[in-house]
Amino acid sequence: MRDRTQTLGLIALGLLLVSADSGRAAESPALEGSAILETRCLTCHGPSTRMGGLDLSTFDSAAQGGSRGPAFMAGSPSQSLLLARVLADEMPPESPLSNSEKEALRAWIAGGPAWPGAISEKRATPDWWSLQPLRESAAPADSAIPPAWADSPIDRWIFSGLSAKGLAPAPVADRRTLIRRLTFDLLGLPPTPEEIAAFQSDRETGAYERLVDRLLASPRYGERWGRHWLDLVRYSESEGFERDWLREHVWPYRDYVIRAFNEDRSYLQFAREQMAGDLIEPVTHDGVVATTLLTLGPLDAVGLTSALERERLSIREDHLEEMVGVVGQTFLGLTVHCARCHDHKFDPIPQSDYYRFKAAFQAVWPPTKPNTTGDLDIFIPHGLPLRTPAERHDREAKVARIAGRLDTIQAELGELYRTFRPFRPLAGLSVPYARWTFDIDGRADHAPLHLQVHGDAVIKDGRLRMRQPRHQPEPSPGEEHMLPESVAVSRLLDRQIEAKTIEAWIHVRESPEGSATLMEIYGQSGYRGASVDGIRYVHGSVPRWENYSVGSFRSQDTGAQPECLEPGDRLHIVIRYAADGSISLFRNGQPYGESYTPDAGTPAGKLQTYPASDALVRFPVTKDFELEEARLYDRPLSDKQIAASFRAGVVNARRAELFAEMSEGWRHRVRALERERDRLRTDLDALPEPPLVHSAWTAPSRPTHLLERGDVERVGPQVSPSGIGAVKGLSPDLGLPPDAPDSQKRRALAEWVANASNPLFSRVMANRIWQHHFGNGLVANPSDFGYNGGLPSHPELLDWLALQLERDDWSVKRLHRRILLSRTYRQSSRYDSAAAAVDSGNRLLWRYPRRRVTAEAVRDSMLAISGDLNTAMYGPSVRTFEITKAGSLLRYNPVVDNSPTFNRRTVYRMNVISGGDPMLESLDCPLPAVRTPKRSVTTTSLQALSLMNNEFVQHRSVSFASRLERETAGRDARVERAFLLALGRRPSADEVASSRALVDTHGLRALCWGLLNTSEFLYVE
Amino acid sequence: MSSDWTRRRMLLDAGCGFGWLALSSLLRGEARLPEARAKRVIQLFAVGGMSHVDTFDFKPELQKRDGTHHAMPTFFGQGGNLWACPWDFERRGDSGQWVSSLLPNLAKQADKLTVIRSMVSKSANHMPAVAQMNTGFILTGFPSMGAWVSYGLGAQSQDLPAFVVLPDPTGHPWGGPVQWTNGFLPAAVQGTAFRTSSDGEPVPDLAAPTAQDPAVRAGAMAWLQRMNQAYATARPGDSTLEARLRSYEVAARMQLSVPEIADLNRETAATRRLYGCEEEGESTFAESCLLARRLAERGVRFVQVYHGGAGRSWDAHGDLVRNHEEMAADFDRPAAALVQDLDERGMLDDTLVMGVTEFGRTPVSQGSGERAGRDHHPSCFTCWLAGGGLKAGLGYGSSDELGYEPAEKPVSIYDLHATILHLLGLDHEKLTFYHNGIQRRLTDVHGHVLEGLLA
Repeated sequence: MRDRTQTLGLIALGLLLVSADSGRAAESPALEGSAILETRCLTCHGPSTRMGGLDLSTFDSAAQGGSRGPAFMAGSPSQSLLLARVLADEMPPESPLSNSEKEALRAWIAGGPAWPGAISEKRATPDWWSLQPLRESAAPADSAIPPAWADSPIDRWIFSGLSAKGLAPAPVADRRTLIRRLTFDLLGLPPTPEEIAAFQSDRETGAYERLVDRLLASPRYGERWGRHWLDLVRYSESEGFERDWLREHVWPYRDYVIRAFNEDRSYLQFAREQMAGDLIEPVTHDGVVATTLLTLGPLDAVGLTSALERERLSIREDHLEEMVGVVGQTFLGLTVHCARCHDHKFDPIPQSDYYRFKAAFQAVWPPTKPNTTGDLDIFIPHGLPLRTPAERHDREAKVARIAGRLDTIQAELGELYRTFRPFRPLAGLSVPYARWTFDIDGRADHAPLHLQVHGDAVIKDGRLRMRQPRHQPEPSPGEEHMLPESVAVSRLLDRQIEAKTIEAWIHVRESPEGSATLMEIYGQSGYRGASVDGIRYVHGSVPRWENYSVGSFRSQDTGAQPECLEPGDRLHIVIRYAADGSISLFRNGQPYGESYTPDAGTPAGKLQTYPASDALVRFPVTKDFELEEARLYDRPLSDKQIAASFRAGVVNARRAELFAEMSEGWRHRVRALERERDRLRTDLDALPEPPLVHSAWTAPSRPTHLLERGDVERVGPQVSPSGIGAVKGLSPDLGLPPDAPDSQKRRALAEWVANASNPLFSRVMANRIWQHHFGNGLVANPSDFGYNGGLPSHPELLDWLALQLERDDWSVKRLHRRILLSRTYRQSSRYDSAAAAVDSGNRLLWRYPRRRVTAEAVRDSMLAISGDLNTAMYGPSVRTFEITKAGSLLRYNPVVDNSPTFNRRTVYRMNVISGGDPMLESLDCPLPAVRTPKRSVTTTSLQALSLMNNEFVQHRSVSFASRLERETAGRDARVERAFLLALGRRPSADEVASSRALVDTHGLRALCWGLLNTSEFLYVE
Repeated sequence: MSSDWTRRRMLLDAGCGFGWLALSSLLRGEARLPEARAKRVIQLFAVGGMSHVDTFDFKPELQKRDGTHHAMPTFFGQGGNLWACPWDFERRGDSGQWVSSLLPNLAKQADKLTVIRSMVSKSANHMPAVAQMNTGFILTGFPSMGAWVSYGLGAQSQDLPAFVVLPDPTGHPWGGPVQWTNGFLPAAVQGTAFRTSSDGEPVPDLAAPTAQDPAVRAGAMAWLQRMNQAYATARPGDSTLEARLRSYEVAARMQLSVPEIADLNRETAATRRLYGCEEEGESTFAESCLLARRLAERGVRFVQVYHGGAGRSWDAHGDLVRNHEEMAADFDRPAAALVQDLDERGMLDDTLVMGVTEFGRTPVSQGSGERAGRDHHPSCFTCWLAGGGLKAGLGYGSSDELGYEPAEKPVSIYDLHATILHLLGLDHEKLTFYHNGIQRRLTDVHGHVLEGLLA
């Protein structure tokens, strides 16, 4: 958060470039027209773009004109094509000029238009620096470089950059400063007094190198540098948008990132895994988890259930743009996503490149599941079982083996039972496609749609119901959907179903407290699995029965009398889906309200097709209802047939009744079959269940089309996947046709992006590493290497670093080491007003920049200093909020406690989009949903309020004081120890005096609070 | 880029406190217009979608064709028949603006309102639509208008944030704090959400721990400022260190000033009655409107007051009559009181009041009988404005005969934003911030100032 008042400190970067065009116009009215051309026209009609053959950058080229003739006739506005198109608002196409601009343009042409020489295009041409292959250059070797600066090529480039401006570097920082700098930089924590003392007294050669190596080997390193990465990839553990529900299974990705940094995984592999780790052989668990990167973007799950197809398609395209954006910016520093609606305005990326790039990710979705528990019939965040393909095949084979045998047993049991309870259709009653009687188990009659039960669902005594409530903790508000679902699920249909009738005999166990879907036919491959029809009890202001459908596309209140259910009630509910799309409900054999025909204008409003080998039948179970029998007909029944079926009732029977009718031989046979069945079920249950992760879920392949102007209704030609054509050094062609399977597309693109021949790939990462060591990258805008990102301060050095990264087998730690051992890094932060006058932004690095530590480092350091830091690593995220529910919305209210779990490092905090922590936000912790290559650094009064008053800081002051009392005796020793712990140094004589006075008057805690609020604690030099 | 970059960087380094005023006035130089008609904004946001055809947009044809079929694609795909407005419409005041009997108090202020009856939004879904009204974008992560205005104009007050948000105590709007985020703008311009429920302090971490003896805090604070002063003095050329010192001074002032401003008992009984604060219990919206005026008086640039949230809102899918009567009863009097009160105090001349909602509601019903409601309707709806620089009593734009689409002068959210910025003396095309490869604007690449609205 937020200043509130007015304080705005260091905002990172030169982000505030505001185009200066208007300034020129003001200086010289005669040139106003050319200034308008420059800002509004040259993007498309410049020397390199020349759309319609027209180049407006010079008088001559504009006079020559384009394919439609000269652009203007000097002195004659009425005969100037340029003006005609502009006045008609045809040009510029998307944002016509204002009246004053039009008038200025007219006057300019009337006065005989003047150009200030050739005006420049405000865009990168294909020869833009970052798109060229890496260049090997020798570091400067002039004799002016002092020996201390001659060892490392880094130092030679930095030194000559400085001397070119008449500047000199700062002297080496003292050891206390160096160890504090290094420890914060690599671990995000302060060094302990003992570590400082040890380093200060280590007089052996190589002390500094050993320190660097020790820190790089610390497990705290991955927690610090992993967090930089998480900023970049908009690490969020909630879905954002309207509901912002939690994504519970994202954290394995955070652990993966921390481990990858700690293990110094090859950056090439790290990058490829995050794009296609589920596809690149050999597939590992890490590879699967890594693809979570693609799924972290916010998803408008509510919007995806809109009845308006255009809206759904647009939402999906927005989602894909976000995915392309994160891949393009993270790995390539290119804003590929800016070319969705038109060719890129600043970089040589045609619109078609966007769609080719996007083709690789066309099938990727975050994992979700349909919500069957709450009142919201939409998709909710979920996870996928963490398995490699090999493990999946292995498991599927085992399941198939067991399930096959189970089917045989069920069929045999069915035969046995049918002998005693034959299904005799009454006159006018027809045989269903499948029937479940729940008498002994989930066996289906007539079709092999036997049921498997999950969660707390049981089939017992002729009923499908919920097991007696077990003692399990009540879920927190908003987390009901996290519980394992209690449901009975059938095998797949063996024939296609369209027009149909579903029928259920329902027993009310308790007066319902919520809505419930009791029986549904469920198509898995529909629009995101959205093909569902079923019997639903709606516990709204008017309790009633409805057809259930995702997004309510085929649901309607039929206007029947409100339902009032009492325990013990028994009902017969039927829904008929006729071939003409009409839907009718029946209650106890009688029509229930009006038949209706959903809006057939949308695919979701039509009669759904449930294909064989894809769709299945589900019976979600709640504590309120039990099922006695259910039937599915593959045709619409007549009103008469439905009434007759109600009168005929169920055929279901209890096991005891059946046994009474059987001979001992029959009974023996049944018991044997049941024993084997139970054993097989135990085997099935015993198959290990892998943990769930929020990794990429891929939908069935769909072709990718170019969309004109990005409009989902203006579908252009199909495109094949490719890289970005403007990048030199490797061909964008992936050698794949437009209809290549999604798996091939994504793998090929991952290998194109993360590739030694792709100059952007290593340059961007080398720059990021430099950026985090020095606060600024050599390229100031680390995720934009295009025109707007500007030029590198030291291009040869950047390429050298990129080449080292590549040659060191993509070892990030080795690149750290090269940078950290440089003399450049070891400079002091000494201020030099002469240097500041030349280079106030310190781009040339005449000193080491003083830096405010990040929000996480502030919090973690306070924990470390107070002795409360819990260094437990990995695992589910720590919740620093309580959830309250208001309607469909969850509210995340920040809480502070003092438990060991709460006192873990901040990187393990759960990152919820609408659940920010006021103190961390005041210290510039970014919104999780936003890709943040570089954090802003602000100084605000709200930050001061947080550091002064936040409960967390109070806890730390108390612990810090008790730690001092515990570890040290006497006031003076405690004052000294307090300074050593918080600031890494002893107090000066003056500070000793004032601190003793403070402690004597107001206690040790006051001093501890003060130290945690000092600038010196918050800044690293 | 370097000279520009350096100049701004130095300004930004100057950072805190009084520096921000200087900084902001220089920063906005490029975006500033010669004239500003308003200095501040109070935005009332009716969350959930206030029905235009039942409040400000009278449609005789809809009355006539009540109950007849008319095919119309809707969000939930359950479009019923055309449904006449169940409330009476009347021409109000000298201007003759149509306002229905749902809003009797606002109706009395009709001559002060500028009503836009041709608004169009891009999303039929609450969160993105609220986000578009706030940020111009339907995606997450873009700065809201209050943040842009604070960025462009800076704060007027030494001890209050420039952008304050008063959420409905029954719940945040969909999206929560994302709706008043600074996005990629500096954190300093983010909306500060005051707590509007009666318990707790209005701003997080405002109060020192109650258990602490104030003398202890004072002693520690003196020690701290001395330490920080010494640290800053020894390090010339780094203005953020000075800024830290000042940020603690400002924080200390806020601790005194915010509770005073939030104390509505300092208002006269008559004023409190005007807003409806005297009524027992219910209307915290009344208190929020009154607080909004107090904040505006003290120099807050942009106050956003939410009426409704995800817990209770104008989202009348079923039971439109009951929903809109309840919501309007709660909304109408405080909203009208705010306009009247500002006017009587002479503040309406340089304050903009905005009455917005994220979309309208369909002319056709959703469901039928007593349970009938109306569905989301982004393709045409109504917003109203009042105050500085506007033609009062004007109706701008119109919808077609059924209120389905604009008939004349369609107004995008971009246009609305461009116009508000214009009235505040900011050029929406020049108020920009570079982020991730793009020179970003509140109005993206769109938006035209609605000249016809301007006085």
